[in-house]
Amino acid sequence: MSARPGRAASARLVLGAALVALAVTTGMPRGALARDTCYECHRAEKEERLVAPTRNILKDIHFEKGLTCASCHGGDPADSEATAMDPDKGFKEHIEHKSIARLCASCHANAAYMKHFNPRPYIFSIEEFETSVHFKKASLGDTKVATCTSCHGVHGILPHTDPASPVYAQNVPRTCAHCHNAEYMKGRSLPTNQYDLYVTSVHGKALLEKGDLSAPACNDCHGNHGAAPPGLNDISMVCGSCHGREGELFIKSRMKAGMDSLGKRGCVTCHSNHGIQHPSDAMLAVGGKGVCGTCHQPGAACDRATVRIVSGFVGLRDSLALADSLLKLAEDRGMETGLGRDSWKEAQDQQVGVRAGLHSFDSAQITGVLDEGLGLARHAADQARAALRDWRTRRIGMGLSLLAILFVIALVTLKIRQIEARQGPP
Amino acid sequence: MIAALGRWLTDRLGLDTFRELAEHKRVPVHRHSFWYYWGGMTLFLFGVQVVTGILLLLYYRASADEAYESVRFIMAQVSFGWLIRSIHSWSANLMIGAAMIHMFSAFLLKSYRAPREMTWLSGMALLGLVFAFGFSGYLLPWNQLAFFATKVGTDIAGALPVVGHFILVFLRGGENITGGTLTRFFGFHVAVLPAIVTVILGLHLYLVQRHGMSVPPSVEEAQAKPGAPPPRMMKFVPNFALRDAVGWLAALGVLALLAALFPWELGRKADPYAPAPAGIRPEWYFAWMFQTLRMLPSKILGLEGELVGILGITVAGLGWAAVPFLDDPKGRGQRARLWTWIGVVAIVYIIVFTWLTYRDVKP
Amino acid sequence: MKRREFFDWLIGISGTVLGGFVLYPVARYLVPPPTPEAATRRVIAAKKDELQPGSFKTFPFGGQPGILIRTADGEYRAFTAVCTHLGCTVQYRGENKTIWCACHNGTYNLEGANVSGPPPRPLERFDVHVAGDLIMVEKAKGA
Repeated sequence: MSARPGRAASARLVLGAALVALAVTTGMPRGALARDTCYECHRAEKEERLVAPTRNILKDIHFEKGLTCASCHGGDPADSEATAMDPDKGFKEHIEHKSIARLCASCHANAAYMKHFNPRPYIFSIEEFETSVHFKKASLGDTKVATCTSCHGVHGILPHTDPASPVYAQNVPRTCAHCHNAEYMKGRSLPTNQYDLYVTSVHGKALLEKGDLSAPACNDCHGNHGAAPPGLNDISMVCGSCHGREGELFIKSRMKAGMDSLGKRGCVTCHSNHGIQHPSDAMLAVGGKGVCGTCHQPGAACDRATVRIVSGFVGLRDSLALADSLLKLAEDRGMETGLGRDSWKEAQDQQVGVRAGLHSFDSAQITGVLDEGLGLARHAADQARAALRDWRTRRIGMGLSLLAILFVIALVTLKIRQIEARQGPP
Repeated sequence: MIAALGRWLTDRLGLDTFRELAEHKRVPVHRHSFWYYWGGMTLFLFGVQVVTGILLLLYYRASADEAYESVRFIMAQVSFGWLIRSIHSWSANLMIGAAMIHMFSAFLLKSYRAPREMTWLSGMALLGLVFAFGFSGYLLPWNQLAFFATKVGTDIAGALPVVGHFILVFLRGGENITGGTLTRFFGFHVAVLPAIVTVILGLHLYLVQRHGMSVPPSVEEAQAKPGAPPPRMMKFVPNFALRDAVGWLAALGVLALLAALFPWELGRKADPYAPAPAGIRPEWYFAWMFQTLRMLPSKILGLEGELVGILGITVAGLGWAAVPFLDDPKGRGQRARLWTWIGVVAIVYIIVFTWLTYRDVKP
Repeated sequence: MKRREFFDWLIGISGTVLGGFVLYPVARYLVPPPTPEAATRRVIAAKKDELQPGSFKTFPFGGQPGILIRTADGEYRAFTAVCTHLGCTVQYRGENKTIWCACHNGTYNLEGANVSGPPPRPLERFDVHVAGDLIMVEKAKGA
């Protein structure tokens, strides 16, 4: 009413001040969320499914970059009434499982858009994703299979470099195992022991216990978005991407040709895939703990070759052990063995090379490297023996000096007696 | 020719005075004469330390980066380096042992009575200096055990009231043990302590010559009885000196045996950031003090148990040093017997507590 | 008298022999050993022209292996040969001009920087000095 024109103005002023006060006292963030009434209302809700999305949203990378609830769910963020959630305004309360990937891709596959946020963005490839089993099953309506939000989370998505993210390197195995376990996968044909095997493996222990982030998790071998059992030309290309030497040698070897003809896969046949343990020399046998027996018959030419190689390996190992025990003996006797230990370390390095060299499955090559190793181990043992000889020399020297001292003591004692005999009693 | 050179030197240097002193010097012969040898034994072992120490100086490097490696170099690469180093480490322990035998025998035989009070006091100062030599030298190889033993030792010094922190910082060359500590300890070990010991040792030896050998009260008593035979004396040169030589040769033999059969270990290079290795204990001559402090309760009459222990040991040490002024001047009577008992108790205490440390604290 | 003279002479001789037993180690000790100091900061890695351009050798340095590389243009580079991933000994691949670790395919460039694979840190670099006939490798100043 014009009779009191200032009243509306002052009411707006008071409301504005109250909102500012509310903003300041409740610590509401400025910027995007300050305009986003969705967050304002939902965080005050009592019903769990309505308030849950607001709990971690402040840490979500999308919100940090200025996006809002409406960016994915549509609707009108500026409208503080229920009319904000009008489907005519594009609001989608619940995004269908099989549509999630396309929704995320609408930004993440758009290079021009992503470049607003990062000069060198990761551009999601929908084509890559379409190669995966997850995509194929999801597009057929399977809602139990993984899509973007299953692994990356939702309403609190963190970059993969953040240790709290479910796709941080160390968290990846557990994230995959969230679904790939016996209970969840009941009724499906896939094996479900991968996680259990992985945590006992060399790679699992390196990543999860030692914190070596370079150790492979599920995605390093299976891919991230195009997750599938490796369908590469050769599995040795997966393993060989880190185990370069072994991969190089194996691809050129007769073993690979043989395995291909039998339809067997390289690397995995002997080392397994998920529960990979530290290889041992015992694996090199047809019987017992050996892996060769998977394909080879006892008594065949390959068996004989194996025996030769194994004896070479054992010979090198024993040679190293002998050198080590000699060095220890010298050290226990107080001798300095620095040079011997240097040689021994060289020999040990050679042993690593020998074990890698095995993957050529070429007797001549393997024997060559083995002989080098044996030579180095022998050198170390020789140096230990020299130290032990020195020790013996010291004892002899000590013995002779003691004899000399005792002899002189005896003479001096006699001299004392002689003098005192002459002197008479004191 | 040599005789002529000898005569020339004797004349120019006035060596006749010394020759006469030596020829006139006599050593009493009695039941307890055995203990007279221990001063000379300590001196001989000290001489071994000086010679081997100077030899080690030719190759040792006193910096945190190089100390451990230089000791390893001496042990592994230098001809007979292992022998010189092992003798130096073993002789240090033998010397301290000889010094303690010398002190305890002097105490129990009451050699500190007038006019030999200064000899006793200078001897106590020398014992303290010898402990300082041992403590400073122990750090020089810069291995784990030495590093942490020095840390514990300087921590204890730092617990003294009022002056403790200053002493700790002075010793360590800072708040913590660093390469600066090593340089400082090296300076103490090869320059400061030798200089001080030279002066006090000179005084100690002069006083021994001036006052002659003390005779224990029991022997004096027997000699004072009417009808007692005249006291037996032995010429210092050649009789006592040759006997000294036998003892010194035996000590040399023991050192050769120890160095060859039990070479001193190198240990692992000191790493200030690694946790202290289990079972640190100081060298045996500090062990009884260490064990005493370990066994005290954490609070005594409202004060820190460790502090009470340190003060107690300090007061006991000062009392011990003041014995010439506290005991009966004639060395007889009830007070004298009390002090003898105190001496025996002290020896037993030290032996037992040293043994306890070795029983309980295993590195 | 003759016996006493003989006896004194015997003491003299055996005392001298004993003195020899004592002085001999001291005399040997005083003569410096072939390497004049502990090889912790610097060491002789190779002889001049021992390495062809484009090749390398590993040498012991302070208890750990080091790698000396002669690049194609004749220049020398030296690094620790201990891979920063899991400690295997690295080697030089002349054809790629990279330092490579056979264990898990880690690669470093000729500055020692870790350029691919698991190694988390670069290789420590050493100084190389050509002193006459010898190639000396020394810990870098300020290291």
